[in-house]
Order: sequence, then C-alpha cells, then structure tokens
Amino acid sequence: MTDPQTDSTMIRPSLRRLLQAAGLGTALLATIPALAAEPAAGTPASEQQTEQKIKALEQQLDALKAQVQQIQSAPAPAPAPPSPLENISFWGYGEAYYTHPVHDGSRSQADLARAVFGIGYSFGPHTRFNSEYEVEHAISSADDPGEFEVEQFYINQDLTRWASMNVGLFLIPSGLLNQHHEPTNFYGVQRNFVETLIIPSTWREGGVSFQGDTDIGLSWNLGVTTGLSFAGWDYAPEFPQYSTALDLENSGAAPMQASHQELALANAQHLSQFVALNYNGIPGFNVGASIFTGEAEKVPAPPASDYPGNQRVTLWEAHTRWQPGRFDLSALYARGTISNTAAPNSQNPGTPNPIPSLFYGYYAQAAYTAWQHAGQRIAPFVRWELYDMGARYAGASPTLPSGDVPLSETPGDVGPYPIARDHVWTYGVNYYLTPNVVLKADYQNFSVNRQFTRVDLGLGLNF
Amino acid sequence: MRARLFLLPLAVISPAYATTYLSLAQAQALMFPHTLLTPDFITLSDAQVGAVEKIAGSRVINREVRVWRAADGGWFITDGVFGKHELIGYAVALDAKGTIKQVEILDYRESYGGEVRMPAWRRQFVGKDDHSSLTLDDDIRNISGATLSCTHLTEGIKRLMAIYATVLAPQPG
Amino acid sequence: MTLSPAASLGEALFHDTSLSASGQQSCGTCHVASRAFAADDGRAVPLGGPNMDLPGLRNAPSLMYSSYTPAFKLVGGTPTGGFFRDGRASSLAVQAEQPLITPFEMANADAAEVVQRLKAGPNLAQFESVYGSEILNDPDKTLTAIGRAIAAYETESPEFHPFSSKYDSWAAGRATLSPQEMHGLALFNNPNKGNCTACHVSKVQGASQHALFTDFTYDNIGVPRNWDIAANHPNPVSDVDGVPLTYVPRQTNLPGGSEYAYYDLGLCGPLGPAANDPHPRTDFSTVTSLCGVFKVPTLRDIALTSPYFHNGVFKSLREVVEWYVTRDINNNPANNPVPEFNPYDPVGSFYHAIDGTPDPYQYNDLPVDYNANVNIFEVPYTPPVAQGGQAPTLDSAEIDDVVAFLCTLTDGYDPDHPAAYDASLPSQCPQSTATPAP
Repeated sequence: MTDPQTDSTMIRPSLRRLLQAAGLGTALLATIPALAAEPAAGTPASEQQTEQKIKALEQQLDALKAQVQQIQSAPAPAPAPPSPLENISFWGYGEAYYTHPVHDGSRSQADLARAVFGIGYSFGPHTRFNSEYEVEHAISSADDPGEFEVEQFYINQDLTRWASMNVGLFLIPSGLLNQHHEPTNFYGVQRNFVETLIIPSTWREGGVSFQGDTDIGLSWNLGVTTGLSFAGWDYAPEFPQYSTALDLENSGAAPMQASHQELALANAQHLSQFVALNYNGIPGFNVGASIFTGEAEKVPAPPASDYPGNQRVTLWEAHTRWQPGRFDLSALYARGTISNTAAPNSQNPGTPNPIPSLFYGYYAQAAYTAWQHAGQRIAPFVRWELYDMGARYAGASPTLPSGDVPLSETPGDVGPYPIARDHVWTYGVNYYLTPNVVLKADYQNFSVNRQFTRVDLGLGLNF
Repeated sequence: MRARLFLLPLAVISPAYATTYLSLAQAQALMFPHTLLTPDFITLSDAQVGAVEKIAGSRVINREVRVWRAADGGWFITDGVFGKHELIGYAVALDAKGTIKQVEILDYRESYGGEVRMPAWRRQFVGKDDHSSLTLDDDIRNISGATLSCTHLTEGIKRLMAIYATVLAPQPG
Repeated sequence: MTLSPAASLGEALFHDTSLSASGQQSCGTCHVASRAFAADDGRAVPLGGPNMDLPGLRNAPSLMYSSYTPAFKLVGGTPTGGFFRDGRASSLAVQAEQPLITPFEMANADAAEVVQRLKAGPNLAQFESVYGSEILNDPDKTLTAIGRAIAAYETESPEFHPFSSKYDSWAAGRATLSPQEMHGLALFNNPNKGNCTACHVSKVQGASQHALFTDFTYDNIGVPRNWDIAANHPNPVSDVDGVPLTYVPRQTNLPGGSEYAYYDLGLCGPLGPAANDPHPRTDFSTVTSLCGVFKVPTLRDIALTSPYFHNGVFKSLREVVEWYVTRDINNNPANNPVPEFNPYDPVGSFYHAIDGTPDPYQYNDLPVDYNANVNIFEVPYTPPVAQGGQAPTLDSAEIDDVVAFLCTLTDGYDPDHPAAYDASLPSQCPQSTATPAP
C-alpha cells in the first residue's frame, strides 16, 4: 500500500493542495493533445512506430508522475503561511419551545431552550479539536434561569485507519440520542423522557475514549471517564423539583441528572468506564448497546460510621432503529442501578427524595415520511414510553405528601406532588423546511402525572 | 486503591495514521483495474448548473467537476461533500451506460459518522443510475448516528448523476 | 486532646470574670457548659452591666457547633452565615470581643479598659506567654488577640462540638432510635408534616461530615413579641432595679404606623457590624424585605437551651412545635381540632399584647408594614390545602414524637450506658423505656 498521504489532492480545499491539484491537472491535460494528435492527423503509421510512440509517452508520463510526486512532497516554494482560519470550523444548533399544559394553561411557557455553537480546529490530518458551548434558556446570569455550559471540549486523534481516540470532555455513547441530540435528529419538540431522565441528557464526562468501526459494520467505543457524585444529593427539596413536563426535563431531578458532574470541578477520585457497541452492517438498520459503570463520590457519611462503601452507578441500555423506506422505527431500553443506598437512605427517613437503587425506562417510536419534496419533509410520528426514576428503593421509600402542596414560594401556587414514573404517549409531526431546519408539534398524554399532559410547538435548527 | 478499573481491557493500538482511506491512484486502480483513465475535467456553464440543480434538487457549489473517461466507456468522478463540518472525499465509478459500479470513500475526517465507509452502505448505490431516486430513506437507507454524512453523500452522488445526465451522457437528439 | 496555647488561654479568658466591669461576669456566665453553652438563668435575656442589673436585648445563644458557621455571604442573593443571631460579626473572634465592650454585658468602655483589667487579672502571664507583652501597648490589638484566643478555644475544644448525641451514635450505626424517635425524625423530614429539614438540614453536610441541623440561612418566621424583655416595653427600665435602659436602640427608620418604638429586626437592625470589625458585613438597614429575618440556628443540643428563639419567647420545645404548626391556622376554637394548642389564652393565639390580651396583630414583633416578610409559604406554616387549610400538619402525638427526636440531638450519649443518658436529659424530654420507672 502506498503512502496514504499522497494523492488526496481533491479533498482538502487548502490553498497549497489546490495549487498541487492544479499542477497535476495541468500536467496531465498537457499530455492529452499529444495522445489525441496521432489519430487526428490521419497518417498511417507502422505498429512499431505506434509502439515507440506509446513507450515515449509512457516515459513522458513516468517523468510527469515523478514531477507530480516531487511537487507534492517538496514544500511549496515561498509558502504563504497557512491562515489559521482555514483550519477552523464553526457550527451550531438550537431549539425553542412553546409548551402548554392542557389542564392548566397558566403554566404555559415559551423558552429558547438552547443555543449552541461549536468550534472545531484541525491541527493536522489526524488531530482535531471539537468543542460545543451552550446557552440554556436564553439568558445566563445570577438572576435568570439560564446557564452557560461547555458541552464538549476534546481532542480527536486518529490512531489507525479504523480507530481514534478522544481526550477531554465528550459525550457518552449511550442510547440513540446522547451523541446526536441536535433537534433535527429526533422526533417531538423535546427529547424523549427515557433519554432525558434515565440516560441523562446531554450527558458528558471528562476522560479518554477509544472508538472505531469495522468493515462489517460493527462500531465500538470504550473509555475511562469521570463519574458521578452523590455529595450534593437533595433528600428533601424545599419544593417539588418540577411541576410540569417541561420542568421535569429541565430540573435535573432524575437520578443521574442530579449526580452527573459535567466536569465542573468534578470529583475525580473514582473513575468510571464504558463500552458501547453498535452494528450498522445492514443499511437502514442499527442495533446497539452500551454499559457505563463506576463508583460515585458517596453520600456524605459521619466519620467512623459503619457505612458500606461508595455508591456504584451502572447504566446499561440497548437500542435499535430500522428505517425501511419511509418508515423510521426505533426502540430503546435503559436500566440503571445504584448500589449502597440503604445506609444513607435510612438516615434520611420521611424525605420525598431518597436515592433509588433501580431506575429504568423504555420506548418504542414509529415515524413515517408522509410527504417530501426538494428537501422539505413532513414526518408524523407516535411514541409510547415508560419511565420510572425510582423503581426500587433501599433503606427508605419516598415520603410524598398527599393532596396539593405548595409548588413554589408564590402564594397560591399549589398542586399535587409529582410522581417519579409515568407512561407517556406522544403524537406529533416534524416538518423539515430543509434537512437542517425543523418545525415540530406534538401532544403528550401522561397517565400518572395527568397534570403534565401538554401540547408543544418547537423550532429546531442545525448547521 | 480507590480508582479501580475494570471492564476496560485497554487495547494497545499502534499509531499507524490514516484518515485518507484511498489515494486517487488507489481508487482508480481499484475501480477501473487495468483500464486507461483519461482526465476530462469539466466546468459547468450557467445553463448546466441550472439544469443539474433542477434535477438534483441541491445546489452546485463547485462548477469544476473532476471526471476521468475510462477506456471501456465508463466514468470515474471524484467529489467532496461536507459531513458535518469536514469534507468527505469520495469517488464514483460509472459503467458505459451510466450505471453506478462502485462508490469509495477517499478521505474522512469527522469524529462521528464514519460508518459511511462501510461497504454495506456504499453497496446500496451500485446499480443505480440517473433515473434512480437516490434519496435517503427512500432507495438509500440511513445509518443511525451518521445521518449527516449519509445525507450529504447521497445528495452528492445524486448531483454527480445529474451532471452525468446533463453533460456526460449521450444527449438525445 | 491538648489545646493550643492560644486556645488554652482562650479557655481561661472565657471564664475570667475579672475582665468585666462588674467583676462578676465572664463569657461562661451566660454560656454555661452544662446547658450547651447557653444561659442557665431561665431568663429571656441575660443581665449584665457594671451592677449586673441591665437586661440584654436577645436571648443568649448556645455556642455549640458555632465554629462550623461559615462567614457571612450572599449565596445567590440569599444571606448565609455570619456570627451572632444577625450575622453581624465577620468571625467567631470578632464576635467574642463584643460582649467585653457592650455596656449591658461586660461593660468595658473601650479596648483600653479591657487591657487594664487584663493586666490586673489572673491571666496576664498566660496572655503574655502567647502574644508577648509588647502587644499590650496597643489596646485594639490586645482586644483582637483576646477574641482570637476565645475563638480558638471554641473552635479547638471538643466540648463545643463533640458530635456525641444519641442521633450521632445512631447515624454511625452504633445505637437504635426508639420507634417514637424514628417517627419523630421521619416527621421532621417529611415535607408535608414538619418539613423542619428544609432549614434545619438533617443530612450530612460537607466538610463537617455530620448533619448540622441548620443551613445557616435567614428566615422571618414571625415569632411573637416577648414582653419579658424589658427593651420591648415603652420607656424601658431594668426589671431588677428600675434603672432606665438608655442603651436600647432608638430606631428612626421604622415605617409609619409602627406600634412600638423598638423592634428587633435581625439582619436589618437595629444592631449592626461593630466599629472594630475588620470585615463588616453588608449593611441591610435599608433592605426592608430583610427586616425581621434571623439566622437559622442548629438544633443540636436544643433540649438544653430553653428558652427559645432570639427573644426567648417560648419556654419548651413542645410550645415551639405547637406554635410552628398552628401559627397560621385560624385561631377560632371552632376551627381548631386540637384544643390544647391554647397555651396563652382562650382565644387560641400565641400572640398577645403587653397586657396579656390577644393581640389583634398576629406578627406583633414586626411593624405591620413588614408582615409580608414573614415566611408563610412553606410547610409547616402552610396548612395542607387538602385538609381545607384548617388542620395543623402535626397532631398532638406527632408533636411529642418530634420533640422526642429533638431530644436525641443532645450530646453525651454513651452507647454502653443508654440509661444514664436518658436520665441526664432535661425534663421536657420523654423518659425513655430504657429508664426504669422509679
């Protein structure tokens, strides 16, 4: 096999390579009239003569090839310093929602949920930097609900033809959405609940990962990262942590949302590991699974107490997606466990929010492209999902108030205490104006927390 | 020791670099073995751009088309499309009737979506021609998690087929 | 455990009555070890001054676990930490200096007078061995050194933070709580019952590795005015000898229509950072929304520190809990399903005027204009809507359970001798089954 560095001339639009391409093109073009000239002249020639000419041409070609290689290997004469801009890439995505709980219009909200910009820099053919920065809820300041977050910040280094390494803050390869969470990639105004509450979104950790794929379509990804922390677990929130479905997705109340650290001065005493496998060997069909496990920073305990060790968090999931023709069918199951919760939970009896030892969820979704034309596309979908953020508890069960309770400091803001599990039917439609701009609408019916049932409208874009 | 590791058999990976999967010469040799390829680079006229865009349903960014004519009457075309934000270089081989023989990825630099390099995905294009729909989720299946790469490559190949139909194919009349 | 030289000096100074103008008062006079370093005089506010006849303005707080209090700061706009009940001292050391130069306490006119007394007192040699004699030429520095020594004692000595309660033994897995105590803890935590943990946090917090039963924030809970405090009377005079109390702050910033000339409004005054505080906290005297807020105290050893609240208005824990759960319930007896919640008067109000009659103003220790500052949003103040807003969140038996749990926060539990502990608890605590009947 020849040096793979050569002859990639058509690909990178860098100035130097364009010059090289032009050089090669010109050199080759120069030979064409020579080839074409003979038959055009119409002069009969002996086979010998023809052979000689071909040999001569071959020599000419060889010389040209050598010339070309020289051009490519030699540094460009008087090289202009490459502009750093040439190696920068910039992208972004964002989404805005309107959500209207049908039973209580007063809790309707509109939100520029996230505006994300990404910056990449190519340090060379094998070393790339990717980063994404997110502003949540439009304004980030002490007096506003918004946050400014670094969502990804890592170096991607090629190791072999089929394997590369990430170092930094990157997304955990869990489920169908976490690594592909741009609004054009999912059906429904907001991400599904299973991949928000059971698999936290947008879930990233700091560390090292190795990933690659194979000719038969099996991709793999494994890594060592920072893990979770229960140091700040809130057993007794002053008010219910959420009172609408939108709150539920944003509140960070779910077990792993409440304990992931996002590399913000993360406790790194304990490292976690993950492995993910995906099979994409049949176009239009994907099946995959992942497992993440690690010891977490423990719930603070009195010194010299006979507590067992740290909590260990293990999350595994399996997913599949099948896109036969206009259909887009997917299903996912995710299940998480947290060990050693009995001791800290039993120290906090009577609280509404002990640490669960088991949480899980699953969904099945079907979408159908009903119409498409020139990049526009209308895809109605339906999704059924179940999530249970507290399927099992050790040591103490949640003590939930019955009846209406104050939901905030606002006088008269009362309602039922939310339950940590639900079955949700979502009916909706994604209308792609272009593959990168989508208008969405959906209706979500909750069967346990009925007050969450809502109508949503959304706008998403990705470039 | 607190930071216990398990689950992770750390593979020793030799640093043999490559994001260029095939050089131009390699691709040509692979797709047209023992066949003379003659460069026939073309620059699309305004009218041709209009016609191509109408057929392909996507914009022509680069009017320069790198085409080689094969001695057997087939065509070898290279092109580049953006995946998410890096260029994917690829080559398409057509037989003398303008039917796709083969698609190869030359160069891929994205952190995600590299699954388009899988033979199974690229094989979907084989046998398609300028009358094929060449639309993702229609006659071309998507790869979950590599949607952008799949979309843009499919678009690119459809555009090349439109260029073939507009410029390279024997024109009717 | 051996104390550092500074802390040993602090211990001596803590008990040194010669530093007071009366010659009879030290820190230890109002902060008695057997009462969790709160006062044992049963008074709402202690007496002091040159003749020990001047009543103070606030109840003497327990000093237990005070070294775990963070310095005052605004956490996302929420006042947190700081020393004294209003957080006006920037450190335990600055706090410890103040009683020495407060006219109705140890009553030195200034730092120089403190230095004079130190020089004449029994602890001079020990002081000089720690800080040298040069420093005595600078009274301000000497006073600072005294404060630091006392703070070192309060910080270093395990007497102030033994974490030896029955609750601690239980939390460490070395004791069991009785069913009543466990039930009390669950009610304490239950967001629809006591909801006490919302401020008196019962989970292990940060660096202390223990539950501290406070989040160090501030709240206005509208406690009743205590007429046992002389300063609360018009034309206040000493309840000992009738001397006029000239040191009661004259507030000029009270809103119009205020019933009384003096209100203790906590964070917004009338007391503020001391002149010698090197890091005075933010002045909140004009932040009217913070008028009436006081720092949430720890509940550790709370059974030992009667009377309760900054003004010592309640004598027992049972009264305190009764008041919490019935404060905002309509006081008409017809609507009160638990008639024993009427300790003060037949109309069922904890709020009474100077003559003992029911006060028409409920939150009578606040100017009417500041009533809106009172926390009425949380359980247990907010009666459950489901119950028509009329029933207290705890019934009589449940109040007993909460009090039983609070008693487990008393330090001094030896898992090997539980009966001795039960016997040592104050009479307001239930006598455990472990204690044999007499």
